Amino acid sequence: MNKQEVKILTKIIRELSFFLMLHGHKDFILETKNTPKTTQFLITLHDAKESFLKHMQEKLNREREMEVETYGWELLGDIDEHSDFAILGSLIDSMDYTQHATKTVVTLVRKNRYLDES
Amino acid sequence: MALIKHLSNRMFIPIVSLILIALAFVFDDWSSIWRGYLNILQSPSVLVSDYVYIGGLGATLFNVATVMIFNIVMLRSLKFKMSGPVFAGILTIAGFSFFGKNIYNSLPIYMGIWLFAKTQKLQFRSFMIVVLFSTGISPIVSFFIFGTGWPLYVSIPAGIAAGMATGFILPAFSAHTIRFHKGYNLYNVGFAMGIISMLWAVILTSFDVPLNLGGPTSEVAHVQLTAIALILSTFFLVMAFFVDRNPFKRYPELLRSSGRLVSDFIREYGQAASLLNVAIMGYISVSLILVLNLQMNGPVMSGVLTVMGFGAFGKHPRNAIPVMFGAWLAVALTNYTLDSVGMVIALLFVTAVSPIAGRYGPFVGIIAGMMHILITPYALRFQGGFDLYNNGFAAGFAAALLIPIVETIKRIKPEESE
Repeated sequence: MNKQEVKILTKIIRELSFFLMLHGHKDFILETKNTPKTTQFLITLHDAKESFLKHMQEKLNREREMEVETYGWELLGDIDEHSDFAILGSLIDSMDYTQHATKTVVTLVRKNRYLDES
Repeated sequence: MALIKHLSNRMFIPIVSLILIALAFVFDDWSSIWRGYLNILQSPSVLVSDYVYIGGLGATLFNVATVMIFNIVMLRSLKFKMSGPVFAGILTIAGFSFFGKNIYNSLPIYMGIWLFAKTQKLQFRSFMIVVLFSTGISPIVSFFIFGTGWPLYVSIPAGIAAGMATGFILPAFSAHTIRFHKGYNLYNVGFAMGIISMLWAVILTSFDVPLNLGGPTSEVAHVQLTAIALILSTFFLVMAFFVDRNPFKRYPELLRSSGRLVSDFIREYGQAASLLNVAIMGYISVSLILVLNLQMNGPVMSGVLTVMGFGAFGKHPRNAIPVMFGAWLAVALTNYTLDSVGMVIALLFVTAVSPIAGRYGPFVGIIAGMMHILITPYALRFQGGFDLYNNGFAAGFAAALLIPIVETIKRIKPEESE
């Protein structure tokens, strides 16, 4: 993994933390799991409302935009509106969640296709 | 049907280039177009070089169409999908091909960015936002070749090298400058290029190379250019209804967005609402020119097209009108006048700071507009004229000055605290 990818991943962590806290989720566990092909962000939340999760899914389950990898990502972690999640949506490939009795696990996947394929 | 779907997915941009090339031959014959086109290619192209004055209207439209087609083919070969930034980039390129961009002075900049991508082992296409806006600094190439007075065997390699060096540093630098104004200057690449232009200006001045800040502007094509702007706005309006019978469906949602970078209206609100917004922004721009009785020329046409392009990438009436009003108010209250083309185009390009109005409301937007237009003439002297997006350079300072103050006041207000 190159340094640029590491910078983006750490910015994503900051943005996620900021977003969750802005929405009142002060207690959460955020884990990352890395393989050569993907990075997964696993967030464990308590008392997450369905509407909040749907909102998050709507914002994040968008097509990845490679040009944001080199341009807008520097603004990550600096959102100033509750709904302002557009840049992160361009850097994440998919978002899903599973609800258990007392907790919800949100999984975000970022495929590692940043490097030149040639 | 497949062709219509294909064109719709490209926001009908290929048709726009065909309309412009057809209009070139409506206004002029081939021999005068070719003569004028050669004059355009040999112009130093620094701010403000009105190609309508230098080469005539037909040659200028031919230049605009060829630069557009080149970029459309490049995007197609890279299998690029149409998005808000790409649409804005293409219309901005079209706009600035009225005053400063041409096919050859853009290429060394692209080559520099390509070289940067290769050295970083990154895909060239991932730099597409920067690529599309990078040619704002293409006058550096033309100036070295035709503006220094050096023999061509020296000036041509020097121009290509200067363009490539500029392109090489631009991606990393523009990614960095976005933090300076926190994404509230839509012409961020213009801001980055302003600083690079400033560097070129001081280097050239230190070697006693005189800098030439452009020349006169055309006063003969007001009616034709106004008609072209109205034709294009109406074309996008019709296409909005063509894509969706009710393009207003998602328009209120679009109007609620702040427009802060990186806002892709096509992706967020769909093609129909975006096309509708592009058309409305075009009508607003033309109305401003007509109501204030201003002269339409190459640079002003560039402003209109850029505002329309950013109708898919951050600008809409709710965030643009307050900053435009602020700019006009600053002119009305100070000794500034609308006698110079630089001030006229600033009334349009002030919309670079539209996200400030979108995020903090019309009052702060008006202040942002006032600050922007007061900074603009000084920004031109500061950067030397190689950055065609001088307003992007000025907007960066206006946003960077205003945002921390507004955010501090906002934090102080107790009802606003989290």
